[in-house]
Amino acid sequence: MSQAVLALPVSQPAIDRERLTAFGFALPSFLILSLVFVLPLALLLGVSVIGPEGPTLANYRRLFGTAYYLGVIWNSLRLGLLTTILTLAVSYPAAFALVRARGGVRSLLLATLFLPLAASVIVKAFAWTILLRSDGVVNQALMALGIIEDPIRMIFTETALIVGSVNIFLPFMILPIYAVVAQLDARLSEAAATLGASPLVAFARVIVPLTLPGVIAGVALVFSLSVSAYVVPTLLIGERYPTLATTIAKAYLLAREPGFGAAAGVVLLAIAIFVVALSTQLGREPASR
Amino acid sequence: MITRLAIALSWTAAIGVALFLLAPLLVIAAASFSPTPVFDLPIEGASLRWYTRIGRLDGFWPSLFLSLQIALLSTVISLVCGTLAAIAITRGKLPAAGIFATALVSPLMMPGLVLGIALLQYFRAIGFTMTWSALLVAHLVVTLPYVARTMIAGLARFDFTLVEAARTLGCTYPGGIVRVMVPALAPSFLIAGLFSFLASFDNYPVSIFLADVRTKTLPIRMLQYIEEAPDPTLAALSTLILAGTIVLLFASDRMVGLHRMAGTSD
Amino acid sequence: MSEPGASHLVVRGVSKRFGATTVLDRVDLTIRRGELVTLLGPSGCGKTTLLRAIAGLAQPDHGQVELAGRDITMVPPHRRNVGVVFQSYALFPHLTVAGNVAFGLKVRGRPKAEIEAAVERALSLVKLGHLGKRRISALSGGQQQRVALARAIAVEPDVLLFDEALSALDRKLREEMQVELRRLLQDVRATAIFVTHDQDEALTMSDRVAVMNRGRIEQLAEPRELYARPASLFALNFVGLSTRIGGTVIGSQDGKVEVDTPVGRLSAIGSFQTGASVVVAARPEHLRPGETAGANAVSGRVRSVVFQGSRTLVEVDAGAGESLLAELSGRDAAMPRVDEQIRLAWPIAETFAFAAEARA
Repeated sequence: MSQAVLALPVSQPAIDRERLTAFGFALPSFLILSLVFVLPLALLLGVSVIGPEGPTLANYRRLFGTAYYLGVIWNSLRLGLLTTILTLAVSYPAAFALVRARGGVRSLLLATLFLPLAASVIVKAFAWTILLRSDGVVNQALMALGIIEDPIRMIFTETALIVGSVNIFLPFMILPIYAVVAQLDARLSEAAATLGASPLVAFARVIVPLTLPGVIAGVALVFSLSVSAYVVPTLLIGERYPTLATTIAKAYLLAREPGFGAAAGVVLLAIAIFVVALSTQLGREPASR
Repeated sequence: MITRLAIALSWTAAIGVALFLLAPLLVIAAASFSPTPVFDLPIEGASLRWYTRIGRLDGFWPSLFLSLQIALLSTVISLVCGTLAAIAITRGKLPAAGIFATALVSPLMMPGLVLGIALLQYFRAIGFTMTWSALLVAHLVVTLPYVARTMIAGLARFDFTLVEAARTLGCTYPGGIVRVMVPALAPSFLIAGLFSFLASFDNYPVSIFLADVRTKTLPIRMLQYIEEAPDPTLAALSTLILAGTIVLLFASDRMVGLHRMAGTSD
Repeated sequence: MSEPGASHLVVRGVSKRFGATTVLDRVDLTIRRGELVTLLGPSGCGKTTLLRAIAGLAQPDHGQVELAGRDITMVPPHRRNVGVVFQSYALFPHLTVAGNVAFGLKVRGRPKAEIEAAVERALSLVKLGHLGKRRISALSGGQQQRVALARAIAVEPDVLLFDEALSALDRKLREEMQVELRRLLQDVRATAIFVTHDQDEALTMSDRVAVMNRGRIEQLAEPRELYARPASLFALNFVGLSTRIGGTVIGSQDGKVEVDTPVGRLSAIGSFQTGASVVVAARPEHLRPGETAGANAVSGRVRSVVFQGSRTLVEVDAGAGESLLAELSGRDAAMPRVDEQIRLAWPIAETFAFAAEARA
């Protein structure tokens, strides 16, 4: 009763169709990315090296050759470094407490992280100008506590800048670290203890290495964001602390020096790319001992 | 002993952080009720007069509408494009999917300012001078990375066996995607939409370079107000925006859960 | 061979390769309506691929699949009317229990009243009638498993496929489900195929078992037959315990062979040429202490005595690296002690010779 079976291979056009669909799905985003992101940045690079008489490195020479602009670059880097270090120092322990918190407390703490994220930089920086004024809350509190007699000048100082910067970028440091710490297996410390490690040793040799990916992500994010911050320096310290960001803005909005502004932009971009590349590389290879 | 010290330290840090982050917001809210034009804290008596003056701020309503429009439209477009791309990356046989995914998310780390000036020149160079459209297109780059990041993560967690189950129950492949994957990804969708909207609505560094005298987004207007004539009206406006954001966050927490937005699984 | 009229599912010459690996090698399988068949084998033997080919979730390179009289080889899964219960259950998290069970019917566009009735029927069949409105996340593993089953049954498929569906349950629950599932499937007269690597499950649940190895079905038989008369060394090893002793055939006659082994001369059922390398095997329940005329007998030292409730397993070191395994019950007179010398005998009729395979 059995029929002769033709051993015809069942054709498989399905794979090519799937690949085609994948290309189709990716196309709109690809177009947006290349036409509105990559190309403009490439043009920027081009503009930075084209002068009125042709290709030139004059803009970069000005940036790196004059003491003033070297100072500007250093200001940006310094702002980034200080912000990163300070936010990290506070965020790291805070993240652990956040993970230990249960239910309502945790939600509340998370909300205090998300709310500022959702608020505009402008709103927050504005709030700090109010806080740090001579007759502002901080001064009043310090005087009430007897720490100072006369109000101290806080606005338009570096202190104001750093405080404001840390305030703005804190959530960006805590959240990645929190995400990693939350995934830690509670039994790891227990295992370390049974192997003879004191709590301190267990922390240093087991917990800390495992949190590194989150730390690296947070550091990379906060550094690249704070290095290029514009609103915060503008509102909290102004002309006293020129950064690459304020230089760029000035070059475009006031001085009409697109080439120079472009060069400064490229430098800022290069810093960001460097930080991202470094962090990706570090994140990929776990530190070995 | 050390453990207890460490725990105390971490709690101090956490509470300190929470208060530090809330401080500016509370100050703004308090200042908005000040009965006098000066930012006097502590305030004696509360007044709502600054709130009534919001509407009379120069150019306020047009910029509010502009910001809302741009934010909504760019979010919607990015949600579509970004989700499709995320599907292709996590599921389709896309070559160099990993690189594409990184590229899609990379604008998040780039200085918005630099993108702003780059776009300014670029649009001028190609003759694209319609400000409103230019703003919209620029905001696509602002919002797309948020969508890509959230949807890629959401899709990576999605169990495709569910789609197979739907197929054995009678759905076609696309039918299965729609009936089973879309609802399962709804939370990610929501989070992506929320982040995108806020990123666009609050954006300054990209918008400032593409705005012109007549087309200014709300953040641009606000900075202008602050630099020219700061008074509690701005505090009132800021507080209103904050209140709106709180409502949005609350609604999202109800529907999705804040812990999920923080990127951890429940 | 079943009568053609009763054939419900026919797999003919199905082959599939993944790259350089042949996962299914010209598999033939015929299942009657109302039959419960298990595909049993180790991981990588092709059982899951075969199941997926029947479901339409994988395409064979060669061969045909017929279900209820029609050729479904090229038919996509959503038109095959095949029910699948997945290992991870694959329940839709955004729907309630009732929503999941109703899914297949909703997709087919059945009227609301019919859907409600079918859902109620399916849920009561799996004894979850009261949980219709629950969310999936609120269910235990066992409950989720039942919902997955109800969902597959609700559309009254031509065949039900279970892909290691019980493996996520803990042991006691698993054993209960095996019995319950078999009874349920028999009640609704369903045709079902199980995939499992657990031989106990296969023996409990099936009308017939297909032992698969490296893409081929080595033996397709009723559980009793499979256990007592395994067709190959692989099948012998995969199901149940046994004593296995290697040797060389020195004579054959009337379907019996005489085999020279390191522990003596043994007779077994089988047909081999003189000089062939074979493995002589017997199930433990046939080995008894003592001597019986005309039977195989081997002496040795008791290495271990393991009490397992209704049975006791006695392992005997027969020398030359060979060991014997005997199963004694409470009814046996005396339990041997470790290090005792003992002689075990068993009938030739329960001794089988298999070709010695290169050890996999």
